[in-house]
Amino acid sequence: MILLRLISWPYFRRHVLRSILTIAGIVLGVAVFVGMHTANQSVLYAFSRTVDRIAGKTELQVTAGETGFAEEVLERVQSASTVRVAVPVVEAVADTRQRGIGSLLVLGVDMTGDRSLRDYDLESGDEAIVDDPLTFIAQPDSIIVSRALADRLDLGAGSGLPLLTAEGEKRFTIRGVMKASGLASAFGGNLAIMDVYAAQKMFGRGRTFDRIDLALKSGRTIAEAQAELGALLGPGFQIDPPAGRGQQFEAILAAYSMMVDISSLFALFIGMFIIYNSFSIAVTERRAEIGILRALGATRRQIRWLFLGESAVTGLAGSLLGLGFGLLVARLIAASIGVLISDVYGVARQADEIATNPALLAAALAIGLATSVAAALIPARSAARVDPVQALQKGRHQVLSAGESRARIGVAAACGALSLACLAAPRMAPAWVGGSRAIFYLGYLLAILVALLLSPLLSLMLARALRPLLKRLRPVEGALAADSLIQAPRRTSASVAALMLSLALVVAFGGMARASYDSIIDWLETALNPDLFVMPSQNIVVRTIRFPPGMGPEIAAIDGVERVQMVRDARIVFRQTPVMVVAVEIDSLEQTARRDPVEGDAASMYRLTAAGEGLMVSDNLAQLQGLKIGELLEIPAPYGVIRLPIVGIVVDYSDQQGTILMDRQVFRKYWQDDSVNVFRVYVRRGASAAGVRQRIVERFAGERQVFVMTNAELKAYILRVTDQWFGLTSVQIAVAVLVAILGIVNTLTVSIIDRRRELGVLKAVGALRGQIRRTIWIEALSIGGIGLALGFALGAVNLHYLLQMIRYDIAGMRLDYTFPVNVALGLVPAILAAALVAAIWPAESAVRRSLVEALEYE
Amino acid sequence: MVPETSTPAASGTPPPAIALDLVTRRFDGTRQVTALDQVSLDIPRGEMVSIIGPSGSGKSTLLNLIGGLDRPTSGRVRVDGEALDGLSDDGLTRVRRDKIGFIFQFFNLLPTLSSVENVGLPLHLRGWPRARVAARAHELLALVQLGHRLQHLPDELSGGERQRVAIARALSIYPPILLADEPTGNLDTRTGGEILALIQALHARLGSTVVIVTHDLKVAASCGRTIALRDGRIVEDVRR
Repeated sequence: MILLRLISWPYFRRHVLRSILTIAGIVLGVAVFVGMHTANQSVLYAFSRTVDRIAGKTELQVTAGETGFAEEVLERVQSASTVRVAVPVVEAVADTRQRGIGSLLVLGVDMTGDRSLRDYDLESGDEAIVDDPLTFIAQPDSIIVSRALADRLDLGAGSGLPLLTAEGEKRFTIRGVMKASGLASAFGGNLAIMDVYAAQKMFGRGRTFDRIDLALKSGRTIAEAQAELGALLGPGFQIDPPAGRGQQFEAILAAYSMMVDISSLFALFIGMFIIYNSFSIAVTERRAEIGILRALGATRRQIRWLFLGESAVTGLAGSLLGLGFGLLVARLIAASIGVLISDVYGVARQADEIATNPALLAAALAIGLATSVAAALIPARSAARVDPVQALQKGRHQVLSAGESRARIGVAAACGALSLACLAAPRMAPAWVGGSRAIFYLGYLLAILVALLLSPLLSLMLARALRPLLKRLRPVEGALAADSLIQAPRRTSASVAALMLSLALVVAFGGMARASYDSIIDWLETALNPDLFVMPSQNIVVRTIRFPPGMGPEIAAIDGVERVQMVRDARIVFRQTPVMVVAVEIDSLEQTARRDPVEGDAASMYRLTAAGEGLMVSDNLAQLQGLKIGELLEIPAPYGVIRLPIVGIVVDYSDQQGTILMDRQVFRKYWQDDSVNVFRVYVRRGASAAGVRQRIVERFAGERQVFVMTNAELKAYILRVTDQWFGLTSVQIAVAVLVAILGIVNTLTVSIIDRRRELGVLKAVGALRGQIRRTIWIEALSIGGIGLALGFALGAVNLHYLLQMIRYDIAGMRLDYTFPVNVALGLVPAILAAALVAAIWPAESAVRRSLVEALEYE
Repeated sequence: MVPETSTPAASGTPPPAIALDLVTRRFDGTRQVTALDQVSLDIPRGEMVSIIGPSGSGKSTLLNLIGGLDRPTSGRVRVDGEALDGLSDDGLTRVRRDKIGFIFQFFNLLPTLSSVENVGLPLHLRGWPRARVAARAHELLALVQLGHRLQHLPDELSGGERQRVAIARALSIYPPILLADEPTGNLDTRTGGEILALIQALHARLGSTVVIVTHDLKVAASCGRTIALRDGRIVEDVRR
């Protein structure tokens, strides 16, 4: 401790900027980790909190995925001996058409029984109506809103509230306002309550409920109730406590969470390299000081602990700052993640506040601290090994010895061979290590390790290769810049490694985005080819408002319409995973699909599926769940278990977790539901799509709420959402640029200290300020260039692994490997510009240094 | 080829190569130190002058001011008739580049450059074409008898050889003024003698003005004029 105060503190004070740069490494890693996880958790938390608040005293909820079920199920639930009270619920997301309000969560409840589960806590309203549920029900335009919503809309009890429903825009009358707490604060306060039967009608649900909320008789356990209801209702229903819905939501977000994890991991790794770089430099600079300490009797152990102590203090300071920045980042990105999740998954939930999870913050603090100390282990060991006699010999320790190079190459070759073996034989892994996936990830880790081990040698080789070119361009500045890199590979290599890692992540994500984009466009072109889409909501993933099937023939009768396909899609739980069921008239689909199945014979696939004798599954579902053609699927539904073989595997990107396609008749039979989410409309040859669209809108005006999207609009919508999903890449590019700047500033700062005398000599023999600046700039550009080259190389490898992860662990998509040339080309100017920016301060510092001091420097 | 010039004639009134007029240099720190105190001095063209004095007498400060490496606190320094005060940093650099060659005690060769590259360095900085730089560097290395060590790095040379390369570099543009700070201070007696002989030979042959800062009385005695400094003032100025 005394050494920290006597030795480290003065060093910190003398090198404030450098110390800040070191701390910035950890701040960066921890901030990305905390920011992305907190934003993600905030969205999850907002969902769970909404579920909790809406649930009230509900102990169990009966659902059938998103599909809902017939009203008669309620009676069966109510008849169970364990159930004290069971009430039906319909949930819908509706638009108010009011600027700045966004979506509204409408809860349809049975006012006669619901208040035993939920406390509406009304502050005002027509007490007589609210207190008498029958009167409330008798007036189907009745609605209760939260205080927050009433304030936002500047409305009160008795005011009218317009809502877009399946039957067009309807005006509701606010009969009560809930106090701003508990239930009223769910969904960020954008909550309204109406009668369940009115909600059925308004949102096109027919005679179905979304779920049943129930409370148990006293003395009965949840397990007992689950067992009794399970037996009573059959396997097509989920009977879970309200918290179970949060878990399903988490499962839906699994792909997104995995991306966040990968980014965070890379960010921490990058932070580690910045710390490593700083400490290596500090040891180099302080060799004389270490030599004096050793000569005065400090033990190796004391020297090691001095540096580890410094790294711990740095790590702690960086982590604390990182927590603050992370929460700031979370606040900035949570809203956009909420929108993204709502757009991609159709689960409209908003993160109205940041969920600061103490466990996450503690973990981030511990990780930041551990990363910092781990990064300083090798430099601390080098410091402890400093020979007091040699401590004043400048420069020697910078050079990579032949022995060290050989050792690095040896270890890298062994890791590389093992990594290749993991690639070649992924199925040889014994089950106890986690099977083939564990081997795959081991191979991935080893590949990155090889890159890290080889980065100093490769940096050196590239710097040597660059020298003739740079010398040719600028005989003095170019040669000296290259020599600076060649002479001190340690000074450069950690910066290059951090840059390499960061660019590898950007390249891989960019490649994955490009490949996904291409695949989705291909799918849109070949499979999703109707001219028009008729939907009940502007948001294509909102499935809470539906059409009656009778609209199908009415649309078909409109002039210019050649074909109408009725589509019902809903998320169900299949093998404990939420997947999408898409029910469509397969006969008709066969006529319009222009894409061959991935597996299976097209003709028999359509024939068997249309006849209700088989199912088609999406390729991503097959990949994720290991499904094979011919395999018998068992899908529990409210009205029995569907047992049908897989007759075809097709490309379908309707859902990240996978899709099961079936004929509409099968869905109708097993769900007793003939409602429609989307009408796909094909326009007759020669007819104008715009004209048909206009006629559809006019046909249903004032009667139904219809949104008609053209094929181009739908594609644009999907591609926009895809862009949002990969918006993460731009965050990573920002991190890469930051890393480049941090690393290069650090390296150059030390470089100009090391080269103080050399730069002084240059000035003494006639170098102008511009020439001195240029040599520093060229050194920075060279570091950027070497980082880019190695980053692209590792990125190419990283992309391979990421595509494999996408295929087998994340989304089941088979994506073609294409190196993202555009991303790479975009990175070149970005990183080189960052390198130049990073060089500005060191170059000016070099120019302004006292010439006399530089020449006398020993 | 190397120009053969003679010592300028006494007739006519060309400005002195170096002229100092009441030059003072103070260093501000926790305690103010006056390294040079109102020094005035003229060094005519072609003269070989040694500056001697104990440590801290201001020898190196004087050399740094003449070479434009440092600026006086007050007073005026003229080099080849050109006043250095008022010149920008780059202006001072241009004076050094065009008029002055430096020889340092610790050679100050760039360790990553070969002999020929080190010698060519000032010429590249002036923007000379590569071929011309190479030709001049070869010529100069031959002049200091190092024609056989062209591609050697400084680490591969002896102390004397390094100083020869440094001298060749200082001569790269055949500057009118050569400044040497303890040129033999880091060499053994025999090698020091050889280097001094080389400087004298070059002075005789090229006619440059040479100013040598030294502790070594033998080196001082070999020059036509010796200026002794003590506590920042000239205490003796002897012409032989």
